[in-house]
Amino acid sequence: MERSFKKEVQSLRLGDGETFHGEGILAVTKGLLQSGVSYVGGYQGAPISHLMDVLADAQGILDELGVHLETCANEAGAAAMLGASINYPLRGAVTWKATVGTNVASDALSNLASAGVKGGALIVVGEDYGEGASIIQERSHAFAMKSQIWLLDPRPNLTTIVDMVEQGFQLSEASNTPVMLELRIRACHVRGSFETKDNRRPEFSRRNVLQNPDFDYGKICLPPSTYAQEKHKIDTRLPAALEFIREHQLNEFFDGDKDDIGIIVQGGHYNGVMRALQQLGLADIFGDSQIPIYVLNVTYPLVPDEFVQFCAGKKAVLIVEEGQPDFIEQAAHSYLRKADINTTIVGKDVLPMAGEYVAAVLQEGIAKFIEGTQPAGVDTASVVDTVARISGYKAKAAELLGEPVPPRPPGFCVGCPERPVFSAMKLVEQETGPFHVSADIGCHTFSTLPPFNMGNTVLGYGLGLASSTGVGPNFGNRVVSIMGDGGFWHNGLTSGVANAVFNKDDSVLMIFNNGYTSATGAQHIPSTGTNARNEPTGQDIVSALKGVGVQWIKRVRTYHVSEMRKTLTEAMTTKEGGLKVIIADGECMLAVQRKKKPVDRKAVADGDRVVRSRFGVDEACCTGDHSCVRLSGCPSLTIKSSGDPLKSDPVAHVDEGCVACGLCGENAHAATLCPSFYRADVVQNATAIDRMVERWRRRFIGWMGGSPAATGDVA
Amino acid sequence: MSTVEQMTVSEALPDAPVSILIAALGGEGGGLLTDWVVSAAEREGFIVQSTSIPGLAQRTGATTYFVEIFPMKAADLNGRLPVLTLLPNPGDIDVMVASELLEAGRAVQNGFITPDKTTLIASTHRVYATIEKAAMGDGRTDTKRIIAAAQEMSREAVLFDMSKVALESSSLINSVLLGAMAGSGRLPMQRETLEGVIRDGGIAVENNLHGFAAGFDLASAKTSDTTSSEPRTSHKSIPMTPGALAERIDREYPGPALAMVNEGVSRLIEYQDAKYAGLFLDRLDPIRDHDMAQNGEGTGFEITIEAARALAHWMAYEDVIRVADLKTRPDRLPRIRKDLKAAPDQPVVVVDFLKPGLEEFCSVLPGFLARPLLGWAGRHNKLDSFNVGLHITTSGAFGYGLMRFMASLKSIRRAGHRYASEQALIERWLTAVKGALSLDRETGIEVIACARLVKGYGETHRRGSSNLSRILTELIEPAVESGVLIAAQQIKKARTAALADSSCAELDSTMATLLSN
Repeated sequence: MERSFKKEVQSLRLGDGETFHGEGILAVTKGLLQSGVSYVGGYQGAPISHLMDVLADAQGILDELGVHLETCANEAGAAAMLGASINYPLRGAVTWKATVGTNVASDALSNLASAGVKGGALIVVGEDYGEGASIIQERSHAFAMKSQIWLLDPRPNLTTIVDMVEQGFQLSEASNTPVMLELRIRACHVRGSFETKDNRRPEFSRRNVLQNPDFDYGKICLPPSTYAQEKHKIDTRLPAALEFIREHQLNEFFDGDKDDIGIIVQGGHYNGVMRALQQLGLADIFGDSQIPIYVLNVTYPLVPDEFVQFCAGKKAVLIVEEGQPDFIEQAAHSYLRKADINTTIVGKDVLPMAGEYVAAVLQEGIAKFIEGTQPAGVDTASVVDTVARISGYKAKAAELLGEPVPPRPPGFCVGCPERPVFSAMKLVEQETGPFHVSADIGCHTFSTLPPFNMGNTVLGYGLGLASSTGVGPNFGNRVVSIMGDGGFWHNGLTSGVANAVFNKDDSVLMIFNNGYTSATGAQHIPSTGTNARNEPTGQDIVSALKGVGVQWIKRVRTYHVSEMRKTLTEAMTTKEGGLKVIIADGECMLAVQRKKKPVDRKAVADGDRVVRSRFGVDEACCTGDHSCVRLSGCPSLTIKSSGDPLKSDPVAHVDEGCVACGLCGENAHAATLCPSFYRADVVQNATAIDRMVERWRRRFIGWMGGSPAATGDVA
Repeated sequence: MSTVEQMTVSEALPDAPVSILIAALGGEGGGLLTDWVVSAAEREGFIVQSTSIPGLAQRTGATTYFVEIFPMKAADLNGRLPVLTLLPNPGDIDVMVASELLEAGRAVQNGFITPDKTTLIASTHRVYATIEKAAMGDGRTDTKRIIAAAQEMSREAVLFDMSKVALESSSLINSVLLGAMAGSGRLPMQRETLEGVIRDGGIAVENNLHGFAAGFDLASAKTSDTTSSEPRTSHKSIPMTPGALAERIDREYPGPALAMVNEGVSRLIEYQDAKYAGLFLDRLDPIRDHDMAQNGEGTGFEITIEAARALAHWMAYEDVIRVADLKTRPDRLPRIRKDLKAAPDQPVVVVDFLKPGLEEFCSVLPGFLARPLLGWAGRHNKLDSFNVGLHITTSGAFGYGLMRFMASLKSIRRAGHRYASEQALIERWLTAVKGALSLDRETGIEVIACARLVKGYGETHRRGSSNLSRILTELIEPAVESGVLIAAQQIKKARTAALADSSCAELDSTMATLLSN
């Protein structure tokens, strides 16, 4: 794993009345243990990757409590795991990334929701919406509604988040319904504090096993049970949920003296709204708002009578609901209409229908609401002035800057093994002409950004090959599909590879075998060789490919650009039909460096011979064309002023970050770039032979009229 | 607690937290800086909250961290707790930190720096974005505007090259940033607390404390050193030029041009010999005359200087002989050793990546042999088919000897095909420059600038030469011959298009538009 939580997980042991300091994700884990959870599982992905990492690092604590941790093959597997709670009083929790995870999980989720649960079932979803998101922008809300899964959206402070984890299990059990806890990116990474409770040992677990399997056809998803389940959802589970939410006051009401208006807000946006109100002079820092606020810590189901109670007697209410469609706003209209209440509902008319509700958006939206409703006792002009002043700064900044600052999107890390493959693909394209690239999800998706600009479609995780099957037959050149090893095991092996063999599709698949799900933080997968507990697993990609009938398999080290170029050209041009798979082998450089650095440091300290390498550019040879950058984009391959008054363009330069992956040299050769690149190896703790050779070399070069350093001594 | 005391406490309560936004590059350790700030605030018992949006941005992209500190102890608040936000609020940022200049510019652009409130603490060094690096010429952002905007939009700006300060103290840039934050006086935590947090980190403690102290001192002295540590073009002192040529330059060239002309002459002596440098002056003389005649004095002899620069640079074209010479210069190995911080007792092995081919071979052959060979290869698209990838250990006896031998071919350079073909194109360009200057000064300047199209090796060099040749043939030469004035802008457009991409697509369409008008 990229990040270790070995130290932080100790705070999971805190007991009654102690104070926890740490990140949101860790706090959620603590909440799960305080709730007496029996089993946990999930699939990694930002912003909840660390939840899986924390659980893996907390194995010892889980073992003490008897909690089972499963790292699932994908989100469908994780959702199916919750089946344990259908028949038995077992509390379980799973986690995944946003709607993309829920999409994969949805088959199992629908069945789970229909059957209903006996033990509390909690799904922690990282809502990846807005700045920092890496996926398509959709809401989890729609999923919750269509399957009748309750959706929690707590105020983003650790006390409320942990409280909602605990209450979520109770709500789930009280209404026999799985519950989803939605945490936005910033809430997952929020660092704060809360007062802890003792962990609870689950009633049944590995330490106290169940004896009798429960059979109940009523819980099977076949007719007529399914008809009964559908009615049970509405007749029994929904009313039970509403009753629980009301009784335990999961939603919160905050009074305010300007009570002819009010604000209804998703819990996750409460802090943002409060800050906007404070800035507009309508609240103080301690959460005392002049305007009454109704906070929805549960955004599905909504409680109609709470809406009616809050809105009654107000001339207008603002609904702060991020994303679209505006489910809450529509529901509010319906509740008020049925109760014959004439309060004006304001929402998407002053706030944007689509896109993140960042601070400026909230500020402007609330100001427009105030301006439009003119509440009694509020200095509307001052509110409007404040917003105008702040947005004026932004306009002035744009004017001073003249042109927009260049974007800096994420990209391949220094020495990334995936970069050379795209260098090779660019070179192949020069020979074969352009071809369609069916891209996939993973670090390799960065190929779609400069300098490579490669990859025509991205349809989902592990779906690179599957998404080539329609377009492939319609092209002269073969289509190249991309798949990471993560996507391969997630579903690509079946949905892509097995199916392409089955249909005898004539196409080319490039599998990036870097050893981990690297984009999410280097979690282990079957071909890593070990699982999250570092136990050997003995699974590999080639055996899996052969097992589903792939005949044409080539393995190439990613850093061998010339070899990769040759192999890909062969795959593109061979007369052989069927699926041609190239496995691009190269371990994630972050993982390599993480292991290598301490080993090298120790070896140097111990006096062992260690060679330290770095690439360099001879400034005087570089002509400032930057072809090398366009074929690489490595962060450590950069530019600098030439230092030569005759040269106006900046020259290429390799900075200290270089890990000597070798791509610069490979590209210089494969693309016949220029003679500027060199590799320099520094021999640390040189042996007697090293020193003798060095002495001879220096003597010779000195004799040839070379370096004055030739006279320097090699002690 | 009595009522009176309660009143005092509540009156003394701050009405807002200290909001700190940190802009950094993914993987650079902005998280560590945030942790230091949060830990220090926690140590002082303050209420603190931080958040970040690492996500994919941890992979080298721009990212931000956000911290709010309410500088009171929870125990002193009578059960009331401040509501801290997770969203940085334009108009509400007290301290904006940027670990790199472009990211400071992005913060300005996003409205996070406001003159009523924000103290900006930013390093002025640059880490170039991919699109700046990938440009075929100079794609770097003009940082003067960013600095000016940052200074104008902030309450106060602490700007200096923190990367350099970090390097000098062998510390992380984060420790310098933290020191500067503390030195700005806008953090509610004591200096000792912040230093304690660094100390307890246990990694490179002394160095990081030095970095912290340096940052603290510079910020508390209200330093703003916006002079770039890396000038866009640096000028060395005037090089020494031997007797006769030196006298000629002094006698015939105006003062402002002396530095560049001397630079050119000494470069070409070093490249070939004094005779070659003399040829440079012979070629430059008529351009100088044009310049003198067209108010050169008033413009600082811009034309002479630019032409001298372009001409000398071109005449010192990088052929195999030149490359071998550069790779065996006496100062090269010591320079590489220094770059790598190699200790005196550590051997350093330098491996060069060369891939000579038919063109390189032909460059030293006489024209009557080279022309048919290259002609055949060009027709059969085989110009790049015979290249051999070599790893030459230039730090070793064999590699060094081989390179020295290549460099010694300098004596027969003039007999080679490459020499003839470069000189022919240079002469053609010079004719066009002189012709354009006689039409119009601005046009002349643009034609001079076209020399930068010819650069690089192999395919890049072929493309550049053919692009220049094309612009000369289609745009400049017809105009010079017919005496019809063409707009300098047109030449500039064509030149920019030629540098826009490596497929010539942009040049094709621009030329089509220009010629149809």
